[in-house]
Amino acid sequence: MSAVAGGNAPVRRRGPDLLPWVAGAITLIVLVGFLAYPILTTMANSFAPQGESFNWFNGTLANFERFWTSALYRSALWNTIVISVAVTVLSTLVAVPAAYFVARVDIPFKPLILSLSIIPLIAPPFIGAYSWVILLGRNGIVTHYVNQWLGLPMPPVYGYFGVIVAMVLSNFTYVFLFVQGALSASDPHLEESARVMGASRWRILRTVVLPLAIPPMLAGAMIVLIEALGEFGVPAVLGGEMYVLSTLMYFQINGFFNLNGAAAIALVNVAITLVAILFLLRINKRRRFVTLGSTTRRAALIRTPGMRIAANLYVWGLLFLAILPQLVIVFTSFSERWPGTLWPLQYGWSNYTYVFNRVVGPIQNSLILGAIATVACVVFGTLTGYVAERKSFAGKWALDLTIMLPFILPGIVTGVALLVTFNAGPIVLTGTAVIIVIGYFVRRMAYIYRSVVAAVAQVDPRMEEASTVAGATWGETMRKVTIPLIAPGILAGAIIVFTTLISEMSTTVMLYSARWKTISIAIYERLETQEISAAAAIGTITIVVTLVLVFSATKIIGKSMSDLFR
Amino acid sequence: MSAQDTATAPASAERRRRFSVEGLTKVFSTEEGQVRAVDDVSFTIEGDTFFTMLGPSGCGKTTTLRMIAGLETISEGRILSDGADFSRMNAFERNIGMVFQSYALFPHMTVFENAAYGLRLRRAPQATVDASVKRILAMLQLDGLAHRYPADLSGGQQQRVSIARALVYEPGMLLLDEPLANLDAKLRVEMRDEIRRLQKALGVMALYVTHDQEEAMAVSDTIAVFSKGRLMQVGAPFEIYARPASLFVADFIGKANFLPLRGDGASAATRSGVAFSGLARRAAGSNEADWFGPEAQAMLMVRPERMSLTPKAATGAGTLSGTVRRIQFLGTFVRYLIEAPDADRPVLIDRPAFVDGVVEGSAVDFGFAPEDAVLFERPGR
Ligand SMILES: Nc1ncnc2c1ncn2[C@@H]1O[C@H](COP(=O)(O)OP(=O)(O)O)[C@@H](O)[C@H]1O
Ligand SMILES: [Mg+2]
Repeated sequence: MSAVAGGNAPVRRRGPDLLPWVAGAITLIVLVGFLAYPILTTMANSFAPQGESFNWFNGTLANFERFWTSALYRSALWNTIVISVAVTVLSTLVAVPAAYFVARVDIPFKPLILSLSIIPLIAPPFIGAYSWVILLGRNGIVTHYVNQWLGLPMPPVYGYFGVIVAMVLSNFTYVFLFVQGALSASDPHLEESARVMGASRWRILRTVVLPLAIPPMLAGAMIVLIEALGEFGVPAVLGGEMYVLSTLMYFQINGFFNLNGAAAIALVNVAITLVAILFLLRINKRRRFVTLGSTTRRAALIRTPGMRIAANLYVWGLLFLAILPQLVIVFTSFSERWPGTLWPLQYGWSNYTYVFNRVVGPIQNSLILGAIATVACVVFGTLTGYVAERKSFAGKWALDLTIMLPFILPGIVTGVALLVTFNAGPIVLTGTAVIIVIGYFVRRMAYIYRSVVAAVAQVDPRMEEASTVAGATWGETMRKVTIPLIAPGILAGAIIVFTTLISEMSTTVMLYSARWKTISIAIYERLETQEISAAAAIGTITIVVTLVLVFSATKIIGKSMSDLFR
Repeated sequence: MSAQDTATAPASAERRRRFSVEGLTKVFSTEEGQVRAVDDVSFTIEGDTFFTMLGPSGCGKTTTLRMIAGLETISEGRILSDGADFSRMNAFERNIGMVFQSYALFPHMTVFENAAYGLRLRRAPQATVDASVKRILAMLQLDGLAHRYPADLSGGQQQRVSIARALVYEPGMLLLDEPLANLDAKLRVEMRDEIRRLQKALGVMALYVTHDQEEAMAVSDTIAVFSKGRLMQVGAPFEIYARPASLFVADFIGKANFLPLRGDGASAATRSGVAFSGLARRAAGSNEADWFGPEAQAMLMVRPERMSLTPKAATGAGTLSGTVRRIQFLGTFVRYLIEAPDADRPVLIDRPAFVDGVVEGSAVDFGFAPEDAVLFERPGR
């Protein structure tokens, strides 16, 4: 029988398929140039005398000796450890009951609760921390009423107290979301069989539910710990006289432009982070659980009135506290006159008109820098994520490590590394937009990488093979099959990346220049000149834009807001 | 195939295509070491032959198919298609159609676009695309479904779409890797006949993979039996059934009874001393010594439907005998399972009807005509 297709289509012969090699080579160059090279340069220069670049003859430990000789360094190290541990432990303690209540007790508005719980994660830079001064400072609103009604003095907000409160309330969400997810998905059969065997509710909680919650709890705690070890904004605003490693790094560079000293601090900071991660991974490794049951049935909800009242009070109370900074920012942005009084004397829109004339530049800068970096993240994150998921090759762990490292590196360390690397030497980029874009790119590519790895894992490799056999080159298969299928995942990742970049602060403070100030810097400068209401207005705009972007991401991929951060 | 043939003929149905695999070998490096998944496999397929690779799971069929498609690198050997060396061509240049067990349809494309995929890659004009896709969809009874998405199709319909997608651009050959494994039993039988009908109608060479020997017998012109990466035997279904070249093939294709024999040459006899002469002899596979146990020198193979069965006669000397353990009525025939001292496994005997006077527990005699038996000699002596 003759042809179906009306004439034999010619077989196309096109020689070797070069595109994957070209794409791979470019990606490798970018990863090595902007990731591996800066990290290695920073490590090397931390062993060079102040003001010099490392070579084999000038190696010294002087930069590290300060951790013994200088009280400032010692206390910064100690403060970092104490605060991080305290924040991690307290966040976990606060979050686990909330997660249990939302997962297992019959309370209304659960989707709303989950959505609201991510608001602390998108607090605008600096002003979010400052709102605690408005609340808990010497003239703060809460301080006033606690004084007046309870007759109690509040501890000073600057220092440990303020830093820990602010960080716990903005980070507990990670633990909350992880544990809540595991508890609502876990197999109800386990608990039911425990109950059938006559175990009391408390016993079930202790022996069945809590053990299930521990792996996700540790995973969430690890993220909190990483965030806390690298946090810059909160200690910068609320630290007062107290330094942590991140603010000390900033101080070394802004005060003395001591790049080698900052590099040494960065190295110590990273070392602590790695030790902490290894420790938590080790705890988690000893426990092996299957938390996701085979059934789609959800765990039975507790309906006793006492539990429901307790759950509602606890969850809404915690959410209120966590969202309070944002509420205070919005409130403050409408205050026109607030001269040290308890409440503002006059309200209005004037902060917005004032701000609009002054922050168009920074907003533009944030959008441009964020957008370029996001595109770069999408391109290279997609390529590397695809390769990591699909191909097996020697040295894959190195790729994984290179990309994931900035994920755990404090933002300020990334900033220091780029500054150290591109301030002198073959390529000088300090003061340009390029260095900021590189910083953003390096820090956020892992997000796209991870979403792409997850999305590609969902695509049957046979589908790509079917395309190849049908006559498609690698590029054609990517364009027509793979990319369309993983696009929603990439897009959602891109929106999250863009969102977080608009208000990025810890890398930006290291890399910005007079020409390239961003929203974060604009807020910081307003706070320094005590234009609190103006800073609040910029903060409010940031909150609104961020929420709109996150919301649109949820619409695009049809996931809930909380799932984007889980 | 003569030189003249190759010289004439633009690609057309008259031209006899020739596809061959020579010494094909695949070695995977795994953590446990090197795995020879495919070991020195050679075969040739011509014209519109329906060629099936048959073997138990893990014997290297998929790996062979994937090397042919260009989805897996070749460790050793050559793949030649009409003289062209496939190993020098990219997978996307080989002009092959492939059907996957998981269908692997593109979920973001309609049935029409899935089917049109290969033509679009070949930059076919829209009119050609429309006509060809319409025609192939009609041949596969998918007419009304052109604008549906794969997620809205049944398993059988998805399978048809994946076949349409593989055939629409007139590939030089069609590869199918267990295409029916995900369908239910009834649909499997329907689809396998349909695949063959279509393959013959389009005159395309087919290379089919299955682990189901009944399926292989039903659809194939030629069957290649694989075991542990090696090609054991190639032949028409009747040939490999009636004249298996090794114990493995005899056992794997259909049902077989094995009787270990002692002694050799003319005096071979079963354990109980029943002797045979004038049997067709052949060597078992070189790696099949462990089939024989310590004492047997040869192994007699007879198909169940070739065996006779009678109630035990009083004078039983010189015949095979045993006890009926189970009688299964299987519709078109009756199967007797007999425990006999001369065999290690129960002897299967298939009769067209119940044998008078034989019930479960009966003592029976059984036998066969010498020309229906094959004697495999112990290898490597
Ligand atoms: N990518 C691979 N890496 C290592 N071993 C493999 C790989 N693919 C297949 N194998 C091994 O090769 C052997 C043959 O596999 P396969 O060709 O899939 O068998 P079949 O299709 O006949 O079931 C198996 O032992 C399998 O484990
Ligand atoms: Mg297979």
